[in-house]
Amino acid sequence: MSGPLLEVRNLARSYPRVQAVRDLSFAMERGQITGFVGPNGAGKTTTMRIAATLDVPDSGDVFIEGQSVLVEPRACRNRIGYMSDQFHPYPNLDILEYLDFFARAHGLAGKRRLDTVRSVASFCGLLGFADRPATGLSKGMGQRLHLAKTLLHDPALLILDEPASGLDPRARIEFRALLKELAAAGKGILISSHILPELGEMCDSVVVIERGRRVVSGTIAEIQKSVQHEQAVAMRVLGDAAMAERFLLTWPGVGQLAVDGQRIRFPFAGDEPALGELLAQLVASGVRVVEFARTEANLEDIFLSTTKGNLQ
Amino acid sequence: MTSLEANPSAAGVPPATFPLAPTRWTKWSDRLNPILVREVQQAVKGRVFTLTVWVALLITVVIAVATANSFDARGGAGRDAFNAGMATLMPLVLFVVPMQAYQSMRIELRGGIVEQLLLSRLLPMRILYGKLLAAMVQFTLYVSVLAPLLATSYLLRGVDLPTIVVSLVFALIGCITATAFAVSSAAQAVLPALQAIANLATAFGLGLASFLFVGAAVSGQYSAMVSYLVREPEFAMVMVAILLLAGTVVTLSLLVAQSFLLHAFENKSTGFRILLFTLPVLAFGWVLAFAGPSARDEFTAALTMVLLVTGIVFAVFMVTEQGELSPRMRAHVPTRAGLALLAAPFLPGRDRGLLCFLGYLVWLAGLAWFCWSGTTRRQWIAEMMGIAALTAVYAIGWLAFGRWLRGRLPAGLQGNHLGRFLLPMSFLLVLLLPVLVDLFLRGEVHNWHYGHVLNPFWTIEQVDRMNTWQEAWLPAAIVTGVLLLLHARVLVGAVREVVAAGAALAQRRRSAP
Repeated sequence: MSGPLLEVRNLARSYPRVQAVRDLSFAMERGQITGFVGPNGAGKTTTMRIAATLDVPDSGDVFIEGQSVLVEPRACRNRIGYMSDQFHPYPNLDILEYLDFFARAHGLAGKRRLDTVRSVASFCGLLGFADRPATGLSKGMGQRLHLAKTLLHDPALLILDEPASGLDPRARIEFRALLKELAAAGKGILISSHILPELGEMCDSVVVIERGRRVVSGTIAEIQKSVQHEQAVAMRVLGDAAMAERFLLTWPGVGQLAVDGQRIRFPFAGDEPALGELLAQLVASGVRVVEFARTEANLEDIFLSTTKGNLQ
Repeated sequence: MTSLEANPSAAGVPPATFPLAPTRWTKWSDRLNPILVREVQQAVKGRVFTLTVWVALLITVVIAVATANSFDARGGAGRDAFNAGMATLMPLVLFVVPMQAYQSMRIELRGGIVEQLLLSRLLPMRILYGKLLAAMVQFTLYVSVLAPLLATSYLLRGVDLPTIVVSLVFALIGCITATAFAVSSAAQAVLPALQAIANLATAFGLGLASFLFVGAAVSGQYSAMVSYLVREPEFAMVMVAILLLAGTVVTLSLLVAQSFLLHAFENKSTGFRILLFTLPVLAFGWVLAFAGPSARDEFTAALTMVLLVTGIVFAVFMVTEQGELSPRMRAHVPTRAGLALLAAPFLPGRDRGLLCFLGYLVWLAGLAWFCWSGTTRRQWIAEMMGIAALTAVYAIGWLAFGRWLRGRLPAGLQGNHLGRFLLPMSFLLVLLLPVLVDLFLRGEVHNWHYGHVLNPFWTIEQVDRMNTWQEAWLPAAIVTGVLLLLHARVLVGAVREVVAAGAALAQRRRSAP
């Protein structure tokens, strides 16, 4: 085993009339959670399916611990746990029977199989519901079962395509905790999601793609540095925010405003004295400012500032 | 998963049904195909299976009661009971079991479940075997349900034991063949456009087969035919022919299904090509084993023609494949030049497909010649061999065109499918165009002329009717020679690609630490 856990190298994949992925390259290491972010149709699922050996690229390659998914798909499959965005369990099987079947499919036998099924079910919080039919589960429980099945053969790399979509906040928090534990256990996790604040909380690094191309990648801190040429300012006013909005639009160095009720967020190109002057003038003009602070760009800001939202 | 065991958030205890330590069943079932284990678990819990077993039991009881009421010492009641039992068994094994396998495969393909299976250690062929094994378990169960009835029919002297055994063997062969066909149809419906067609075709095909067999069983023709067959000297010959035919259909169905489940870069071709080369061996082996000297040449001529047409159908798929070896295939070719040379025609690629077909023609001709006794000098046999030879020439021409056509289509599976559609369409067009021209220019389609020379059916029929075989051989030989010369570079290149990939692989292995 050599090289990074996952290396995507110059990947390209097209469908009729659509270039889904173009010259995409990135890498991730063991024990790392990498967020894979992009607008709808950016090529995330295509890339993940190629990495999971379920699709083939037009050019380029993906390497799992140095082995090409194109040359050695079977060997790579032993190291991958792929959780697709769809989950359709078998009818007439309960949760443990379902996991037991996939454990058999992964070649586990005897006591090892029983122990693995039990420990994975326990880890994913499924043991208490073990005799429930796999088909009648809630979305959250279904995703837990889906993840449990993905973990059975102890893969080094987990590829999770929108695992948190459709989950309620509690289920999302629990799911996030599970993923953090898995990463702590040394597994690499490549995860795509549209819930960016959540990704921002759990990911060590992100890869942002748009129209099949990598826009930016690296640790969140690195990206924050690279994209944050301007500081972001968040403020809250009392009363009518429109007055503050009108004032800010005329002020030099203020970027595009994001107004949410009485909260206003905007990028500001200027040093601290300039920011102090802006606050003073705002107050002087009659705007009742109750909160005013510089903020660091979060994953949503990074996403918005690096992508154009172009669909293909 | 030891690193995950000590999860403090884990709650609950496993239900009593899930064993803490391996039981005799779990140890034993570890040796079984996982698909079989799961299918049995599902079937036991499912409604369809339980319902059909109860219905079969009910019918058995009804038949038993009816038989007891109409008992006669001459064995008529026993025969009726047997016929009724077979009429009950046939729809179960020819329709219910295969359709359950079909449905199971459809569920597998729905929502990407099969992808999750393919990411495990289960290879596609093992998944398919699992389906067949599950069908055989169901068959055994249905036969067990009907066994008392069959035993009663024997005890009432309605039918003899060989008839019962052979009938059940036929039912088993039919069940496996129908299940393989159903599973294959379901796997082909991976393509959304084929789903509705596959559903309809499978249900209709299996339904029709069941209907015909039920009709034959109820009327007594089935038992009479089997009873007659087991007493005839040709019994072994027919039985082996049926087994070979069913084996071919099952193998072909599984290969087709497997090709839809395999990774795009895996080898989907070699299985088909080996099957193609095996068919003449089985067919002519059967002729040598069972056909007497007087009938051997007739069988040989007829089978040569059938095998040639079969080969052409296979070749349409072979010459419309992608051109080059996939990265995966390049990494798994034989490293020895001699072996690479031998393996080349069996490896994927349209150029190697054409080479494979040419090799198949030589193989077929060689085996036919080996099988030929030369004792029968009937006119139709000579004509048949002439027709086969001219058909082969046409096939080479059309397949060479197909290879060329595929080269002009987009790379990828869609190009393959398009090629497989356009080649027969082009053939149809060439058949129809001169006919339409005749119709518009002359007002009638009457005589063959050189405009129809690309139409093999009419041209060969013309040669045969006018008995101009001697005149036909020279142009046929010239056309074949020109085609082979034109493709020599391509064919050599197809072999060289394999040999070069093998040499590169050997070099990489030598230089690897």
